Amino acid sequence: MDRRKFLGVGLAAFAAIVVPGTDLKAMNFRETKPKAWEIEKTVDGIKALYGNAGLKKSDKLTFKAPKLAENGGSIPITIKSSLDLESIALFQDANPRCLSCVFSVPKDAIIEYDFRIKMRQTAVVTIVGKERGTGTLYTASKEIDVSIGGCGG
Amino acid sequence: MAKKMKIKAKEKKGIVKVKAMFTSLMADKEEAVKKGIKASYIKYIVAKVNDVVVYEVTMSGFMSENPLIKFKFHGKKGDKIIFTTIDNNGKEQTGKKKIK
Repeated sequence: MDRRKFLGVGLAAFAAIVVPGTDLKAMNFRETKPKAWEIEKTVDGIKALYGNAGLKKSDKLTFKAPKLAENGGSIPITIKSSLDLESIALFQDANPRCLSCVFSVPKDAIIEYDFRIKMRQTAVVTIVGKERGTGTLYTASKEIDVSIGGCGG
Repeated sequence: MAKKMKIKAKEKKGIVKVKAMFTSLMADKEEAVKKGIKASYIKYIVAKVNDVVVYEVTMSGFMSENPLIKFKFHGKKGDKIIFTTIDNNGKEQTGKKKIK
């Protein structure tokens, strides 16, 4: 290999390492991925936030949610995972914009997050977790029945 | 809009359980139009202990009103946990609590 080519290959490899590197340090997802917050459909939302990587179903990433929510204004959700994830996002199809929240998980954290969301109508809730290092995407989803809408109606 | 945040932090066997509640209407665009108010929701919450981030979340207005969060992390007694929230208008708020 001559020197000119070698340098080129080196630069390309360097760029490939640096690009996901900047992604890892994303602190505020609203600033780094503003598009993802405006998308309506879960599938497109996942693509906008995490790219086109394939999704894997895993038993190690689970979440608890009621099957039937009486009040769509506050649906308790608990996310649990034993995987080493760097971020977890929650998507639903019920609201005008699909993305509800994105957690950036610090190192050595215990992944057990409890919070409440709003949903307008019955829909499927999907959570996606991105593994630290490998970048593999794991997913879990569930349908939640909502009897009364939560967004002011 | 938001005035106070309530924080509870308890340590047991090296694991700190935290419960926190923030006051916010969490009204996104559509809801704000219906109610005739300004959109106002918390979009970013971060919790730090000794300048190390232990909890970080970016949210949209589709979390429920007065968001209540619970989480756990490895920590010890006596440390201070500091919460910072930023709402959609860029308003920042902080709250401190000692871990019991």
